[in-house]
Amino acid sequence: MSALEIEAEAGIHREAPPDTRGPSSPISATALWLGIGAIAMVLGGVLAVQLNYALSDRVLTEHCIEVGLTRDITGALGVCNIIEALRAQETTALLYVGAALGIAGIAVGFGIYRKMDTVRRREQAITGALLGILAVQIAVVLLVFRSGRPDLFAKHFLNFTVLSPYFITPFLNAMKNTIVLAFAGELGGIIIGLILAMLVLSKRRAARAPARVYINFFRGTPLIWQLATFYFLLLFGFEVRMSAFNVAMIVFALNTGAYAAEVFRAGIQSIERGQMEAARSLGMTYYQAMRFAIVPQAVRRVIPPLMNEFVILVKDTALVIVLGLLISEQELFQWARSGVSDTFNATFYTATALGYLTVTLPLIYLVNQVERRLRSGLVGITGAGH
Amino acid sequence: MATEATGNGDIVRLEGVHKWFGDLHVLRGVDLQMTQRDVVVVIGPSGSGKSTLLRCVNMLETPTLGKVWFDGRDITDIRTNLDEIRTHIGLVFQAFNLFPHMTALRNVTLALTNVLKLDGAKARERAMEQLARVGMDHKAEAYPGQLSGGQQQRVAIARALAMEPRLMLFDEVTSALDPELVGEVLEVMIRLAGEGMTMMVVTHEMGFAREVGTRMIFMDEGLVVEAGEPREMYYHPQTERLRQFLAKVL
Repeated sequence: MSALEIEAEAGIHREAPPDTRGPSSPISATALWLGIGAIAMVLGGVLAVQLNYALSDRVLTEHCIEVGLTRDITGALGVCNIIEALRAQETTALLYVGAALGIAGIAVGFGIYRKMDTVRRREQAITGALLGILAVQIAVVLLVFRSGRPDLFAKHFLNFTVLSPYFITPFLNAMKNTIVLAFAGELGGIIIGLILAMLVLSKRRAARAPARVYINFFRGTPLIWQLATFYFLLLFGFEVRMSAFNVAMIVFALNTGAYAAEVFRAGIQSIERGQMEAARSLGMTYYQAMRFAIVPQAVRRVIPPLMNEFVILVKDTALVIVLGLLISEQELFQWARSGVSDTFNATFYTATALGYLTVTLPLIYLVNQVERRLRSGLVGITGAGH
Repeated sequence: MATEATGNGDIVRLEGVHKWFGDLHVLRGVDLQMTQRDVVVVIGPSGSGKSTLLRCVNMLETPTLGKVWFDGRDITDIRTNLDEIRTHIGLVFQAFNLFPHMTALRNVTLALTNVLKLDGAKARERAMEQLARVGMDHKAEAYPGQLSGGQQQRVAIARALAMEPRLMLFDEVTSALDPELVGEVLEVMIRLAGEGMTMMVVTHEMGFAREVGTRMIFMDEGLVVEAGEPREMYYHPQTERLRQFLAKVL
């Protein structure tokens, strides 16, 4: 029987609720549009100017040559366009007008929202004011940034032309290695963590104590220290000659295992004790009860925190920089480092951030989805009524 | 074997059972015998040790002192295989404790396949039989979250019965139910008693205790204060404490 059929039988009725937010009004809509307009100017407008400069036919300007962007520098024109677009009068106008609209939106929105008599009107007023605040903040930051040395920043961090010989194949390879390191670490960590959690939950101190020592050691020392030390520990101590990449995978697994153990322990302890009692009363052994009744439920509850651990691990893979990997084994951060040392340009770091984000953002989104499904309801804790 | 036969045909025998939780002395020396087809109802105020006593019978709580025999075997002996003993003792909880990630059917078959090692088809057949016995076969594929409290409790009873236990323990199984759902669970228990199941029932349902019990035990402050024939105890309590208790619950 499907869930819906069961509901129908239980007399549960499902139907979308009516929209009860009520009508809009000119004044509240004005507040909203002031906010939207301010954001559009400050973000959209400035971006449009940048795109216009980037895509139209241009030459190196006096100003650019003055600040050292000479023709012999790779990507000088692209950087120059960014700087010029930022300096342009259009940009100045957009920022000031946007900020002014933003302030107007704040004034109108916060001025009227208490008097609004429908939910829609009140939300429009407040949203307009919030967007206004955001627009003013962005405008101020950009204006201050512009008054410094944006030329130097752009030259070193936004010269995307220098990336071209290193891009796509080596970059994708680096990204793949980042993911492989994180994935291997997480997978190994989950297995180690589950075993450690079982030991930590033992009623016998002789089983608990060593697991505790392990967990506290790996949680208590820096990951970068573990990476740096274990390579030589394996090499000199155990005469195991392993590639830095493999050592890194092992260390990530050992480290993640300690954190995952705590996550699993908390998850298992969050299962009502009646579940264990029910399983044991049916004649199951402790191990069977764990395997069939407790752990499957605990795993569901710990998926979000484990995925968070994974996001953290993706970023922590950057620490293998201390091991010095072969070119083919390079992950994102080392790809950037070698690019920077080849070209003396830090735009590689900018690209690296984008690389990490393309992996982490979908994961973060996924975690939030899973968490929402597990928690269901409760979007923001706003209390009751108005 | 040190587990000398002291059964005299008793299915359960408790001898001088004490239980401490920390420094809380919950059971203070309880003796009890149950024979086949007995329906022992345990009543008493909350905190009197009724549930602890019942849980000592399948060693979910280990008595601090004293001995528990099941079917002639000393199950307080550390060498006794409790997992095997527990397959003969069904326990139904106040909070149902169904496995929420499994269907009603899977709740029942889980121990059949993994403990009794029945093959899938046989386990399924036996589970459906027991679900039908409690009137829940039509909800075999439903998850506990989709069932009412009364329905969950009936599935929990089927889960215990499917092991074909020689003794059933009921731990305040109707206390967590809405009043309108109590009847359907009691009905199942009454039928079980009628079929000759040996049962120990901790309950606040005085009507059930009086009509269905073959023997009644009144506990207070960790001791058996009065024991005897249910109607006799109900209508002619011998001790002041039972009189007071009955006056309060009625």
